[in-house]
Amino acid sequence: MHKIALALAGITALAAAGAASAQDKPTVALIPGLTTDAFYITMHKGAQAAADELGIELIYQGGPEFNPTVQVPVLQAVTARQPDVILIAPTDKQQLIAPLRQAHDAGVQIITVDTFIDDGKYQDGEGEGDFPLSYVASDNVQGGRMAGEALAKAVGGEGKVYVSNVKPGISTTDQREEGFKEAMQAFPGIEVLETQFNDDDANKAAAQLQAVFARNPDLVGVFGANLFSAIGAADGVKALGKSGEIRVVAFDTPTRIVDDIKSGLIDMAIAQHPYDIGYEGVKAAAAVIDGQQIEPSIGTGFTVMDASNIDQPEVRERIYSE
Amino acid sequence: MAAAARVADDEGGQHPALAFLIRAWPWLFLIGLCVFFESWSRASYGVTFLGNTFNLQSIALFAAFPLLLGLGQTFVIIAGGIDLSVGFVMGLAAVVMARVMQYTTPVDPALALALGILAAIAIAMVPGWINGTLISRLRVPPFIGTLGMFGVARGAGFLIAGGTTVPVNNPWLFAMGNERLFGVPIPVAITLLVVVAMHWTLAQSKFGQYTYAIGGNRIAAVRSGINVRRHTLLLYMISAGCAGIAGMIYTARFSAGAAQAGEPILLDSIAAVVIGGASLFGGSGTILGTLIGALIIAVIQFGLVFINVEPFWQFVAVGIVIIVSVLIDQSKGRLTGERKDAE
Amino acid sequence: MPSEPILRCEKLSKRFGGVHALENVDLVLHRGEVLALAGDNGAGKSTLIKIISGVHPPDDGALFYKGEKLRLRNPRHAREIGIETIYQDLALADNLDVGANVFLGREPTKSFLGLQRLDRARMRAVAHEVLDTLDIDIARHKFVQPVRNLSGGQRQAVAIGRAIYWKAELLIMDEPTAALGVPEQRKVKELILRLKAQNVAVLFISHNLVDIFDVADRILVLRRGIKAGERRPSETDHNEVVRLMIGG
Repeated sequence: MHKIALALAGITALAAAGAASAQDKPTVALIPGLTTDAFYITMHKGAQAAADELGIELIYQGGPEFNPTVQVPVLQAVTARQPDVILIAPTDKQQLIAPLRQAHDAGVQIITVDTFIDDGKYQDGEGEGDFPLSYVASDNVQGGRMAGEALAKAVGGEGKVYVSNVKPGISTTDQREEGFKEAMQAFPGIEVLETQFNDDDANKAAAQLQAVFARNPDLVGVFGANLFSAIGAADGVKALGKSGEIRVVAFDTPTRIVDDIKSGLIDMAIAQHPYDIGYEGVKAAAAVIDGQQIEPSIGTGFTVMDASNIDQPEVRERIYSE
Repeated sequence: MAAAARVADDEGGQHPALAFLIRAWPWLFLIGLCVFFESWSRASYGVTFLGNTFNLQSIALFAAFPLLLGLGQTFVIIAGGIDLSVGFVMGLAAVVMARVMQYTTPVDPALALALGILAAIAIAMVPGWINGTLISRLRVPPFIGTLGMFGVARGAGFLIAGGTTVPVNNPWLFAMGNERLFGVPIPVAITLLVVVAMHWTLAQSKFGQYTYAIGGNRIAAVRSGINVRRHTLLLYMISAGCAGIAGMIYTARFSAGAAQAGEPILLDSIAAVVIGGASLFGGSGTILGTLIGALIIAVIQFGLVFINVEPFWQFVAVGIVIIVSVLIDQSKGRLTGERKDAE
Repeated sequence: MPSEPILRCEKLSKRFGGVHALENVDLVLHRGEVLALAGDNGAGKSTLIKIISGVHPPDDGALFYKGEKLRLRNPRHAREIGIETIYQDLALADNLDVGANVFLGREPTKSFLGLQRLDRARMRAVAHEVLDTLDIDIARHKFVQPVRNLSGGQRQAVAIGRAIYWKAELLIMDEPTAALGVPEQRKVKELILRLKAQNVAVLFISHNLVDIFDVADRILVLRRGIKAGERRPSETDHNEVVRLMIGG
């Protein structure tokens, strides 16, 4: 570990003279979970906007798949450029700890965006992955709460609902479910049934919806905690011919979900603000470069989309661009 | 008579300069790439590309996984086969190693590492043996047989991992994945050892000679008394063994096993073999070629990130290099005046 | 009068399904003798050499090799006792050099740090030697190139050289001059005569009557699986052989 740092000290000394003139702007790198996803493309736009405003050079580099095998080499190549701060959406809580620590030891500050390493609680003196300065993301508990409130309102505060989720153990979707259930406690007329896990398979999510309905004919709503959970649940509702009777709330808003809202297949969707994550991430990085303290956790907001507001310009711009 | 034969010889001879170019092109291309990235980095950023240890180590680490998978694949491809399962065999080995170490680390961390390594290699042999048996005994085409194993190994890996990654907290494992010996990262040192062993086997041993013979003319190999079935079985076990070593290094580098560890590497590894001069029709290829091929891919991918080219261009660049290599392979005969029969 | 023939076949028969590929065929071959097998397509020539080289067992009849009754288990067995077959596709690995092909499957090795390493120098030297004894002219630099860079005649020579090096006493050749140019054909025929001089028995299939009359000591003509006749070239002519082949 120290040896890298030593080696790097050597290089930086050698390259310092030339580098100083070429790198008079501070440099921030953004490494997304994958480059081919609308969520991260939108995040890049927000980051670029902040970089332009603040006079920062932004490096945007990532792999084509959400996989540490692909992301880590990119991380190393970016580290070799010696940016001041790396903003990264780690593709694994555990596996990115060691590679990020190497970058950190080489003198680069780390901020994670959207996803996190270790427990996601940084700078509290606990855990292997405590060294990143901040975690910039949507507050998924809050997002789940908003989904719960929207669904409760849509069903008039009465009936049975359940969460269609991916699988236990994923930090973001677990938090959404937690927030959803929390919100539902305010509605005594609503019963939350057992959560159904679909392994990110829309087909399975559809079959599960039909099975739940078979046992609970008074089912009035379902919360799809991610893209495929929602698409699958909506498909199951359509197959039952219950569109408009069983309400579907989705999480995340790529154009596909927006089309489904317009066609009535999905009633509402909770949009994260990836643009803001990118924007706030670069702002936090700039603060770090200026030597300021930043919060170890920075939350960004949500927008609830439904058929009534989807065509308003301030809502439209929250659709993840492709 | 003798004079006539000599004339024929000369007609069939290769133009020495052209022959040299075709044989040496991967080396020349690698040098060209390095020169290109070095000048670009200096001109645009005022920093060196190759002149520092960190970059060299990163490129070597980058190349290690496709190279390891490519080493076994080189043998298989020379013998006229293909092994599509290596990516997920690597993931399976990584997951099994991590699981074994999860259970044994509390007992004794060093022993746990030894057991983990054994488990990774041993488990990789299972799909290798099944691939080899399907292909050599049951005459399943290699493409189909190993594609089936691609699915089986993937499923088994995810099942054993319980769908997620399997973390291991073991200082010995961490050291193996992240420490250095004389400035060389240990994963790179292990990879180099495997390269040397594989190079020797292919270039100097009877086993290597038979691998070429089977790829050149399977019937001739059978008639020469080579046990082609047994040899084919061993080839697929070597390929799986290399994948097992790759899985082991993966677990060490990331202190965790993941079933999808090798998924993105499969195509890079085959590309490395092909860029290195092996023909997908069998009969030719070398370990040194595969080494150069893996380095070319690593330098391109590392270099394009380093000089901050838009990510999607990386696919285009690697794709073009593969197409060019295959075109060169295809036209070797024509360019060097290789002959079929006299007249 | 040569005493013991190296090969004697008695009443060989072979059926594939209902078809009689070969019926009651007798054959005798002595050391240093060249026997040509002639016949139209489907006459049974290939079936006959496949029986002698161990690919098919005969349904009826018997083989006697060096006076003893022989039951061949497989082609490898035939090769081990000195019956070597060179098929039309040459049985060379085109991507390997001359030495590697001569030694294919039986490579010499040297011990190197406890590892058995291929002795390429020896393979190359022996290949030179063997081809020299057969008086075959291959340029030096070709020895280190894959045999696919050699001419058809040279490759035929490598295959024959390998058979000789491994002590073939009976050499079976399937169309050895097909697909060769005229000068190359001439070289291969010279080679056959040289083998004969070295006391090797040669059995070869050919469609080319000129070749047959040039090198054969005897001609055995098959027609629809039956032996139509056997002649010495000095006692017959092309017309008679053709008549035997097509009947009438």
